[in-house]
Amino acid sequence: MTPTGPSPTELAAAVKAFAGAIGAQNVFATPEDQIAYSDHYSPDESRHQPGAAVAPGTVEQVQAIVRIANEHKIPLWPISRGKNFGYGGAAPVLKGSVVLDLSRMKRIEVDADNGTVLLEPGVGFFDLYDHLQNNRIPLWLSVPGNSWGSVAGNALERGVGYTTYGDHSARICGLEVVLPNGEIVRTGMGAMNGSKTWQLYRHGYGPSWDQMFCQSNFGIVTKLGLWLMPEPEAVLGVDYEFDAPGDIGWVIDTIMPLRREGIIQQSPSMGNWLRSAAVMTTRNQWTNDKGPLGEDVITAIRKKFNIGWWSVQIRFYGPLEVAQASLNVLQKAFNGKKVLLAKPAKWTKGDPPEGSPFSGVPVTFPLANANWHGGRGGHIGYSPVLPPRGDLALDQFRRTYALYQKYGMDYHASFAMNERSLTNVNQVLFDRDNPDMMKRVDQFFHALVADARARGYGEYRTHIEYMDLVASTYDFNKQALLKLNQTVKDALDPNGIIAPGKSGIWPAASRGDQA
Amino acid sequence: MRRLALIAVALGALAACKQTAAGNAVAPAPEANSGTQVKNATGGMIPDRSYKSPAEHLFVDKCGMCHRAMGMGTVILARRVDPKIAMLEQRNDLTRDYVITAARNGIGNMPRMQRGEVSDQQLAVIAGYLAKGKP
Repeated sequence: MTPTGPSPTELAAAVKAFAGAIGAQNVFATPEDQIAYSDHYSPDESRHQPGAAVAPGTVEQVQAIVRIANEHKIPLWPISRGKNFGYGGAAPVLKGSVVLDLSRMKRIEVDADNGTVLLEPGVGFFDLYDHLQNNRIPLWLSVPGNSWGSVAGNALERGVGYTTYGDHSARICGLEVVLPNGEIVRTGMGAMNGSKTWQLYRHGYGPSWDQMFCQSNFGIVTKLGLWLMPEPEAVLGVDYEFDAPGDIGWVIDTIMPLRREGIIQQSPSMGNWLRSAAVMTTRNQWTNDKGPLGEDVITAIRKKFNIGWWSVQIRFYGPLEVAQASLNVLQKAFNGKKVLLAKPAKWTKGDPPEGSPFSGVPVTFPLANANWHGGRGGHIGYSPVLPPRGDLALDQFRRTYALYQKYGMDYHASFAMNERSLTNVNQVLFDRDNPDMMKRVDQFFHALVADARARGYGEYRTHIEYMDLVASTYDFNKQALLKLNQTVKDALDPNGIIAPGKSGIWPAASRGDQA
Repeated sequence: MRRLALIAVALGALAACKQTAAGNAVAPAPEANSGTQVKNATGGMIPDRSYKSPAEHLFVDKCGMCHRAMGMGTVILARRVDPKIAMLEQRNDLTRDYVITAARNGIGNMPRMQRGEVSDQQLAVIAGYLAKGKP
């Protein structure tokens, strides 16, 4: 059986106490509120519908809520801004949980000299962008494809961006956390009263805890330190388009050596034609056939928008001569190879704004891909991590493509080239108004996870519906890592009030219930 | 095609949009153009975050990321309405009730706006701004 949330009576008592602590105007418990905090893009919203939401404005209010949750044994699901679309939005794993909505906490403290910022969780990418622009601070953001969400929340979920600062969780430097017992802790150098280096030195003294609060349910992050990129003198690069599905192998083998050497310092993401097209058009403009898309349709779409079967964008940042030298190395690597289109990109200080996520300009239009099928679209992400080898990527692409075809879905994928790995982000785009399609989504997702697991690949992140499934694939020594996580969970959160089920980590009381 | 036209229109609309000196005025200074810039797919544009009134400020803060040029909402709406009125601020047919209902219930691909993010009072101000005097 599945773990259950609080009963209506328990919930009502807690809601009353929350209202007493933070004001009734910041407690949202109507049926409309329950729906509003559900996952708008998921196949079945009701499975993860929260019981209520509370929106504290200060750390002290967060502590008060945590105390009440412990007294009433009410599970809280902390969200920063709740825009984690494709992975659950604002909704909790455990139905009936109370969403702890931190979106009202919006303090920003920038250290312009050192290129760091200390943020509260409610600060969105647009908020931070506005702050830097309005104060003319020459620091650039690293933004994700949908920049509507929280800077802190995105980093804590290990989101990624397009610049050399794109591995967001790797740029975290110091956290303030409300522990499940209500105590406030500061990590790293912030553990010292009056510390001058909280956002400057990541490791601190002794064990280093920043990463322990990523994708976890061990505490509520109320402040997050992050490094920002000093505005460079130049951004140079190339947008490459490639003609054949099979090109993915040699392209990865061409780029990866430069990535490993550090010539390329951002993670180039190689995406298929649908990644580009789903933002610009809808399926029904091209075919009424509900079956797999034929190459004829794909060719017509590609021709219309002048895009390859695959595309990848590479950028270099820094002093002009350094960026130029790196660009030369890249162009040499592609010399004589079969490129469909190579479009140069160049920006130097003094030009009008570069104006794209490559210079940290926040955007939301990539989320228009949810409209690919028309109707009320939605999507979930499937994101296994692979070794950075072309042959393995090609094989992964072919197997995944076959599964998309088998389940009648349109392949939407990218391979991001990290220093030592590939992150293969696949979007399962669906139409929630198509019941026949929606019936296939769950089976399809299970098939994808099993396929990756069979090759020794695990996902880096997943939707709330599949957190147990993905956790179960990390099975070395009878799931020893999950047991460690559970041990930590039980020690820090004996009442199991923070985000039960996050990343497959359930508190002791519910553990017998799932699986 | 209409789809393409819409992106083009969205791009054009942003390019045509001059930063205002009033309000917050986010005006990056393009002093010396090196003349060698190669523009990327978005045409080298930045989001229009300008405002001239508290109500417009609230709209920019809560809605502008999706409902100004190049935003997700604008891109998708341009598929459904005349691209010239794909941005909510260009429309004259919005009523307060419609704005509030759309924001709270979601519409199409637009998720619901939660009360933690936009309070009822704030939404009323935004609805008034978009309804332009209509009830």
